[in-house]
Amino acid sequence: MTSNYCILIVGYIFGFYMAWNIGANDVANSMASAVGAKAITIRQAVFIAGILNVFGAIFIGSHVTNTIRKGIVSAEILADPHVALIGALSALLAAALWVSFSTWKSLPVSTTHSIVGAMIGFGIMAGGFSVIKWGKLAAIVMSWIISPFFSIIIAFIMFKIIVRLIISKKNQFTKALNLSPYFVGITFFVIILSFLFKTPLGKKLSIETPAALAVSLILSIIFGIICKNLLSRFIKKKSTSTAETIFKRIQIGTSCYVALAQGANDVANAIGPLAVIYFIVKTGNVGATVPVPFFLLFFGGIGIACGIGMAGHRVMDTIGSKITTLTNTRGFAIDFAAATTVLVASKMGLPVSTTHATVGGVLGVGLARGIEAVNFRIIFKIMLYWFLTVPASALTSMAIFKILQLIL
Amino acid sequence: MRIPFMSMFIASPFDGLQEHAEKVKECAWAFQQAMECHIADKCRTFEEFRQNVVRMESEADAIKRRIRGHLPKGTLMPVDKFQLFRYLREQDRVLDAVEDSLNWLSYRSEPGIPDKLQRDFFLLVDANIDPIEELSTMVLEARKYFKSFSEKQRTLVKDIIRNLRRQEHEADKVEAMIKKKILNMDIDPVTIFHMITLAEIIGSIADHAENAGDMMRAMIAR
Repeated sequence: MTSNYCILIVGYIFGFYMAWNIGANDVANSMASAVGAKAITIRQAVFIAGILNVFGAIFIGSHVTNTIRKGIVSAEILADPHVALIGALSALLAAALWVSFSTWKSLPVSTTHSIVGAMIGFGIMAGGFSVIKWGKLAAIVMSWIISPFFSIIIAFIMFKIIVRLIISKKNQFTKALNLSPYFVGITFFVIILSFLFKTPLGKKLSIETPAALAVSLILSIIFGIICKNLLSRFIKKKSTSTAETIFKRIQIGTSCYVALAQGANDVANAIGPLAVIYFIVKTGNVGATVPVPFFLLFFGGIGIACGIGMAGHRVMDTIGSKITTLTNTRGFAIDFAAATTVLVASKMGLPVSTTHATVGGVLGVGLARGIEAVNFRIIFKIMLYWFLTVPASALTSMAIFKILQLIL
Repeated sequence: MRIPFMSMFIASPFDGLQEHAEKVKECAWAFQQAMECHIADKCRTFEEFRQNVVRMESEADAIKRRIRGHLPKGTLMPVDKFQLFRYLREQDRVLDAVEDSLNWLSYRSEPGIPDKLQRDFFLLVDANIDPIEELSTMVLEARKYFKSFSEKQRTLVKDIIRNLRRQEHEADKVEAMIKKKILNMDIDPVTIFHMITLAEIIGSIADHAENAGDMMRAMIAR
């Protein structure tokens, strides 16, 4: 039993390390457009991302964590808890190893893909091919393909709308101000809905689907109007002010949105396998019916926040100085598309990559001819690493499993 | 590359385009001074000005190569890549014509431009400098158009292009007038050949500026 506790402690350490890495590296993707468009400073980005990642992790993060925990490997049929324990630990180690390797070698490897690959490796070693839930896995892989496209489409349409209705007009400042409640309202609608719909919070307040929709709609209208009033109060119209002036403020809100979505989706990459270990050590089985405890999600959120606080600064500094062609309207479209994609996926329990959603957002605006120069070909490189990461981390996970089996 | 977001944004070719246009403008001033110097008697600095223009031309060439060499395949831009290159080529030809005219003048320094033609050549140079100065404004305004896609901004760019066309027409008229005058002068045939070709080269500056304007018109077409 003591060895089990040792494994749990090692699990905590590596879970924290994974979360730290997500915070340090991936936060740059989500906050980059806001920092690049000079809507927020790096200090603000670190602050916003830190806090809202924790929020997203706690309140919306359980779906994806459950998917990682019991969606890929049907842990119920694992005969031996000891094998499952070693397996989960090796999955966590393998994923952490991959994230470190990709950081060291500067490869565009997704933490999400690493952890899913590692979980597959664990399942195969612990119970053979039959314990892998291939149907669910197919859905996850589909979500990896669909999510960037979804993000491209949203960003494209959003930017086209902004061009058509606001920035191509003569009085673009007034137009932007008048239409701001709609943009803010849509954002709030998705956020509030994701808080109320199928979450512990929603259950506690006993809000059903239609009620959740109604509440979100009403609240988003209210927030939209409040935001418009705030905007018109705090931004004085000058001869130089354009729609960008308005969107600069709105983008502060969308950065929060992105950080929230990121916390919701990415916490699972660190906490998913840890939750398996936790339940085996505590209860002797994977606890399929028990929800992920609050403090595990909180632990993951804090890990991400620590990563942001310690290393996010440096990464965002590089980005802010390099990306100068991005304006606030473009940044808004990118943020909105990426965050909506990730949040919707999180609600569906699909572990998608925040990085890929952001890349999709940039491409969407690029396809709408909104950016002076975007390199499209990056996606081919990213796609190559899709196909490499999953088998590679699965094999690593298998190898670690064999080694750990000898030791433990 | 760990952060693909960052690698997606590459240096904007419009920065280079702007820089190139500024170089052209700078060259135009040096060209004007060189011509004035050459026409005025006892000028010793003509060669210096010419060398200056030659240097600037090679700098502009470097900018041109940098733009062409640093647009990877599959770059998304507000305009088609080859439209951009075609525009750049015309803008560069303006500069080539400026350099050529000074070189051509330097091949035969005596007796220089005959007294009777001096005023006309001043006119021709001025008529060709005007469109060059418009180029950098045009690039600047076009960039603003690609930021906002507003009809107002598009009209502004179109006005500049129309202006270029008009200025080219004016320059053509001066060129024709000067050629007619040269061919009816009683001077030695070598000087006539020298002067006619000079007028043609200087006249081509405005032609290329107008062509650049036409390329820009294609770039801002909806």
